[in-house]
Amino acid sequence: MSTLTMQRNNLWEVTSRTIVYAAIGAALYGILLVAQLPIPGSTVSVRPAFALVPFFGYAFGPIVGFFVGLVGNGIGDQISGWGALTSWNWSIANGLVGLIAGLAPLYLARWVNGDLRQRAIGGAIAGAIGVVIGFMFVFTDVILQGVTVGATLTLYIQVVIGDLIGTIILVPILVYAWEPVKAQLGR
Amino acid sequence: MNIAPRYLGRGSWLARRDPRVLILVVALFIFTVLQVWDIRLVLGLLLIAIGYYRSAGIPWRHIRRNWAIVFVFIGLLVVVNTIVAGGDVQSLPVEQTHVLFYLPLLGTPISAESLTLAVTMLMRYLAMATIGFPVAFAVAPSDFGVAFHRLGVPEKFAFGIDLTFRFLPSLANDLQTTVDAQRIRGFNWSAGTTGFLSRLRHSVPVVVPTVVNAIAGAEDTIDAMDLRGFGTSRRTWLRDLAYDRTDLLVIGAFAALLVAATIGGFSGVSSHLWTPPFLIELAGR
Repeated sequence: MSTLTMQRNNLWEVTSRTIVYAAIGAALYGILLVAQLPIPGSTVSVRPAFALVPFFGYAFGPIVGFFVGLVGNGIGDQISGWGALTSWNWSIANGLVGLIAGLAPLYLARWVNGDLRQRAIGGAIAGAIGVVIGFMFVFTDVILQGVTVGATLTLYIQVVIGDLIGTIILVPILVYAWEPVKAQLGR
Repeated sequence: MNIAPRYLGRGSWLARRDPRVLILVVALFIFTVLQVWDIRLVLGLLLIAIGYYRSAGIPWRHIRRNWAIVFVFIGLLVVVNTIVAGGDVQSLPVEQTHVLFYLPLLGTPISAESLTLAVTMLMRYLAMATIGFPVAFAVAPSDFGVAFHRLGVPEKFAFGIDLTFRFLPSLANDLQTTVDAQRIRGFNWSAGTTGFLSRLRHSVPVVVPTVVNAIAGAEDTIDAMDLRGFGTSRRTWLRDLAYDRTDLLVIGAFAALLVAATIGGFSGVSSHLWTPPFLIELAGR
């Protein structure tokens, strides 16, 4: 079952399928985070792996999307040695991106229920909305870390631009690649 | 490609603790640090974090690169914050600070207070990163699921965390297989390309097949879980966790630290920046 055919009332269902897709997405996100492309002069990178967060949310639901972002970012931090819990608010922000993208059937129903081209475009739109809104959670650093609003805004803009680029390019490609396979599997 | 978390602290004093201790200590310590702005107290917290870190027995030669990344990241963050703040320090406007010098080109005033704030922030981040390292290297990957479950995470999601760690080596192998398969077809994963967009497009032949194959291959795992009745009744775990006296002492100590920081924060004792007098004197010359 995917969010592309989900109804409003089963968006929040947690089954073995939900858990397995979430775990795969989180593991892939963590693994591919090692392939980051740094933006010179910043602490942020263009991350091809990040597209997995909105994609998994859009394709498999808000719970999968939230798990992939939250746990996947934690796993990436864990592998790098930073520690899964050190930047917990950033992990939550990543999770919110996936959650918001997974709620696409609620606010992008026309795109989600359209043909393949419309569903791919819908994925990019849902991902973009998720990135812009979800990463607003990083402004908690102003309260938690005492970072100025200006510095956090600088960081936010860098993150959003980097991840928007990856999301808008990769999510439609992933949707195009996944849909025929999904049809073959009968899901 | 070795992507699996490295259990480098195996056998150390900290690794012998209940895994929940390491997770709880990070949470308690982070919320402690967040409430302390007095550089003298932050230094004390950093020393506590260093002592805790050393008890994990993590060999330095295996994590030098990790620490380098941490230092660069924290350093950049502090520098950006200092520049963007424009000389303002917490609620203190720049006119009330003791300016030491102005940054060339940018003209940003660097005062005794802003310098103290930068160093304090650096030490706070370092303390939190130092406490976080043992979670990365001194907890057995197979213990995360049961640890989070015993800390209150619903068992399905705790199992999901467990499953995530189990998938890491196999998916990393799949990624390597995909890279090799594409190489045979003439694709060079490590070839230099110019521009972010072209490098992003360059990742598509590897990322897309890996993701789609992983999802398609999940069907077997899903069927196996369903056949074993996943989610139909309360789940038990192979590993049984129980605190011993030392675990409780460690948790109690860090909890006491948090309480002290909270009281200090509310009373204003530890929540304000303390600028060393010698820096203020330096600004006065």
